[in-house]
Amino acid sequence: MDFHQLSLPGIGTKYELETDEKDIISVVYMENGNVQIYTRSRAGDDYCSAELNAMEARRLGNVLTGAIIEAEQEGVEISFSALCDLRISVHTYIIRKNLSGKSIGEMNIRSRTGATVIAVSRGGKNTVNPRPSYVFEAGDTVVVIGEADQIKLFEKEILG
Amino acid sequence: MQGIALALTAGFVVAYLARTWRFPAIPFYIIIGIVLGATGLNVIHESETAAYLGHIGLLFLLFTMGLHLRPHDVLARRRSFVRAGSVDFGVNFAIGLIAAFLLGLPLFEAVVIAAAFYISSSAMALSSLIENRKLGFPESETVVWMMVFEDIVLVLFIVLLAATQESPLSIIIMTIQFVAASFLLVYFLKDPLRRLLSRDDEVPLLFVVAAVILAAYLSNLAGVPDSLTVIALGSAFSMVSHEAPAAIARPFREVFMVLFFVFFGVSVQFTGALSPLLLLGLGVLAISSKLFSGIIIGRLSHRSTLSGVEIWSDTAARGEFSIALAALYGSVMVSSTVAALVVITGVVGGFTGMYSPRIRSFLKKGKGTLQRTKHSTPAIQFKKP
Repeated sequence: MDFHQLSLPGIGTKYELETDEKDIISVVYMENGNVQIYTRSRAGDDYCSAELNAMEARRLGNVLTGAIIEAEQEGVEISFSALCDLRISVHTYIIRKNLSGKSIGEMNIRSRTGATVIAVSRGGKNTVNPRPSYVFEAGDTVVVIGEADQIKLFEKEILG
Repeated sequence: MQGIALALTAGFVVAYLARTWRFPAIPFYIIIGIVLGATGLNVIHESETAAYLGHIGLLFLLFTMGLHLRPHDVLARRRSFVRAGSVDFGVNFAIGLIAAFLLGLPLFEAVVIAAAFYISSSAMALSSLIENRKLGFPESETVVWMMVFEDIVLVLFIVLLAATQESPLSIIIMTIQFVAASFLLVYFLKDPLRRLLSRDDEVPLLFVVAAVILAAYLSNLAGVPDSLTVIALGSAFSMVSHEAPAAIARPFREVFMVLFFVFFGVSVQFTGALSPLLLLGLGVLAISSKLFSGIIIGRLSHRSTLSGVEIWSDTAARGEFSIALAALYGSVMVSSTVAALVVITGVVGGFTGMYSPRIRSFLKKGKGTLQRTKHSTPAIQFKKP
């Protein structure tokens, strides 16, 4: 693996990486905060390119570093390699009519499943760490955190 | 006010269309100036205010350019970019100078034309590399550093052209004093400056703008070209922080440079100018000479003619610096010639920048068929006996 950095005055900084497979990947950090990525396979001399904004670049970076191992439709599993491979799943769900009017405490979510509701989004307003007395409405988006098994149990027991 | 309002409105429309359809805006700012100015519809007139605002734009452009001339980076790269830069300068300045002499221009005007003929548009080259997604190509690095080399040559030109006036020696000495003073000031005040520039209130904004205008004012007092002092100031600032001053200079540069370009177009007079055919010829020559120098650089730095074509495609356009030279030092005739040069090379350069991958693959295919015919010749010879 050969990695080097080039300064491009007026544009930004370019990092060029030649992989063991002899493919070339260039990442250009531009002064406007965007990032352009170029890849060239060893087979051809045509480049493929993509431009990412700062947020997209961060997300791609997360995927590449392996911080996100499993990206389901609305959930992610985070692993902390420093903590004995601790893995935590975070999942979002939309509350349907059957749970409307019930509170978190009333349903005993934590003791029945082990999972915790850490945030609720309602009409563009977010409530982080809702109290047990928090009453759901249909259409709320909830963020649930726990181990993969606890999340499964939450889907079965609570959402039904 | 009418002229400035019209110029800015038209500039906005051009910028919007240029971004949407991906063509370079600079030549069209000038065309707008020519169309709306005395030569055309006569609705925009030259005014002192517009000239002043345009000059502010130019100062901030040169200040930003100075910010990219980071002494450490430039010194570290010395060898690799001097070669490409020297070829670029040698070929294009010489061809420009010969052309200017053939047109019968006196020495001073000929040098201004040759310099304008030589210097590519950094703005168009860099935006071509970014917009047309060419930063992956190794040639992009050569192009970017060629622009840095051109910036340094531009500094030398400003000194040279200023020194032809009354007392050359005193101007050169004053200039050196100014440059040294700004570098020393920034060097010894590094830490307080860094703290000042990293604040997020209005203080750094006022500081940078005041520093640029003050530097220009002081150099005018001393009779030193202000264009040079703001470049030196930018280069000195780059030792402390590059992003913060660049972000502050940007709005001034973007807005007032549009006025500078449009009013440059307004000032262009075609009475007493070269014939349209000669202007067109000069434009074609300017594009060809960059192709010639590009191919030499491509062969020297990348061992490939196609690389040279790529380098040419991004650097064929002349723009802001050519116009700045004409506006600062040019006569009526030089202005109209440079205006035509920028319009022709800018429009063509916009296309070559966008279509260079196609041009390259077209040339490659052509080369391929050539090689095939070469290989087939022995087969025919075998049949002969």
